[in-house]
Amino acid sequence: MHPLNWVIVVGWLAYAVSHGIRRSKNTKELEGYFLANRSLPWWAVGLSVMATQLSAVTMIGTTGQGATDGMRFVQFYFGLPLAMVILGVTLVPFLHGANVFTAYEFLERRFDAKTRTFTALLFLLSRGMSASTIIAAPAVVFSAIFGWNLWLCVALIGVPAILYTMVGGVQAVTWVDVKQMFLIVGALLAVVITLLVQIPLSPGAALHAAGAAGRLRVFDFSFSVTNTYTFWSGLIGGTFLMLSYFGTDQSQVQRYLSAKSVEEARSSLLISAYWKIPLQALVLLVGVLVFVFYETHEQPILFNPSNDRVVRAAEPAQYAALEQRFRAATSLAARDSARAAAYELTSTVTHQAVKDVKKADVNYVIPRFVIGYLPIGLAGIFIAAVIAAAMNAISGELTSLSTATVIDFYRRWIRHDASDAHFLVVSRAATVFWGIFACIVAKFAVNLGSLIEVVNRFGSFFYGSILGVFLLAMIPRARANGAFVGLIAGMAAVGFVNFSQPDVSFLWHNVIGAVTVVVVGMALSLAQPQAVEAARAL
Amino acid sequence: MSNRFRVTLVRVLTIQVITLLLLGWLQHHFSTPP
Repeated sequence: MHPLNWVIVVGWLAYAVSHGIRRSKNTKELEGYFLANRSLPWWAVGLSVMATQLSAVTMIGTTGQGATDGMRFVQFYFGLPLAMVILGVTLVPFLHGANVFTAYEFLERRFDAKTRTFTALLFLLSRGMSASTIIAAPAVVFSAIFGWNLWLCVALIGVPAILYTMVGGVQAVTWVDVKQMFLIVGALLAVVITLLVQIPLSPGAALHAAGAAGRLRVFDFSFSVTNTYTFWSGLIGGTFLMLSYFGTDQSQVQRYLSAKSVEEARSSLLISAYWKIPLQALVLLVGVLVFVFYETHEQPILFNPSNDRVVRAAEPAQYAALEQRFRAATSLAARDSARAAAYELTSTVTHQAVKDVKKADVNYVIPRFVIGYLPIGLAGIFIAAVIAAAMNAISGELTSLSTATVIDFYRRWIRHDASDAHFLVVSRAATVFWGIFACIVAKFAVNLGSLIEVVNRFGSFFYGSILGVFLLAMIPRARANGAFVGLIAGMAAVGFVNFSQPDVSFLWHNVIGAVTVVVVGMALSLAQPQAVEAARAL
Repeated sequence: MSNRFRVTLVRVLTIQVITLLLLGWLQHHFSTPP
């Protein structure tokens, strides 16, 4: 890659770190460090909420999905706007008004310590692991594309984010998120314009080519619980998932707890309600246009350079024949067939499942285009945007992990009465600890491909159930024991569905978990006073 | 349901319907040959 591209990448990293440290004022108290003294404007909080959700996986994986599978993934977000409105009138005023540091702290006030500690523990386990996958996904792609050592790639993404998060807390995270969101959206728009210029077709003809190949198919109205991306799973399951994610996950809740007022917190969530679907459509459109670009230019049969090297060395004759078949193909179906055969061959050589080979290959479609075809400068901006997206997501995770560790465990169970200065030292140490933990797990996660899937499945076990507990918290008749037993019952119900009906899409797990918790929790809560009254009557 | 909530809900749903209609138009218009 041209040195100018690297100058841009390094320059942006240096700017992001220095900007984060510069914007971290009044972080000598715990409230300043974790909640920015509840002083942040709605637009900064709103952009930070979106930035935390937009990781490097979105920049590399989702764009790749657009190229290979089309636009239908956007259905996943159809429930988001409704969820934001519901949260604005339900959980946001409860949480913001409760003057808490974490969402789980609110649960102790409403129910009891065991419900708070258990939900906080689930959050630490799930987010601690997912933080590593956020780093692992782009690190493995950079390592394969540039031939760099994997530790170097993990450090390139992890160290700057750890640095400014550790120094500046939530203020640094929010203000860096804001700047990086502009970089990310700008880079995506610039790539779309470049693609429209480079594709030797008019924009209308390019879109017709994409449409003819099924890449612009957005809607699937079939009602299938095994298909993740349908209109109904996105609208119903997606609403529950987004309610859980934005309403109960500390990485999101902490963002809007730092807003100036309840009104500003509500407004911050509405930015996502208005802009999330168009932004995801833009991300997928980049992939769709890259697909059209490759239809009019020479493309490799395998986009993953590591697999390309390994298979070429192991089975040179068979691989060359497949490449020849791929180049000679005159239709998309024939090219897809040759590529599927290449995936099979790769699977045989590398002993990976065919679906894993295919999934990994999708992640290299956009990086190969960026390195090979984007003009000097723009390639650097796009790579900086990918690293920025990873840093946005990881910094949000780190600050929330540190907050939950210190507030829900250290201050709650170990040291109640220490000074803010003491808690700040512990908070910074916790940020560094979780950062190093994420980097180390990331290094090993890339060698254990299925670990990422395990982490995602693990999260889906309890996301809906935690939402159910928060829903119970807003019902006056709900009681602590009902909430705790309901939480266990919700997780058990999801576990049962997961093992007995493994084909049911994880989006429905959230619905099952939340509904079970509310039903069981309310049944027990309503039975409780009657039991007490019955005992008194005796 | 408060008035404020109703206004926000209607505004968000209106924008969502417009977005979905645009996506529907994109799918329908470009999936047929020019």
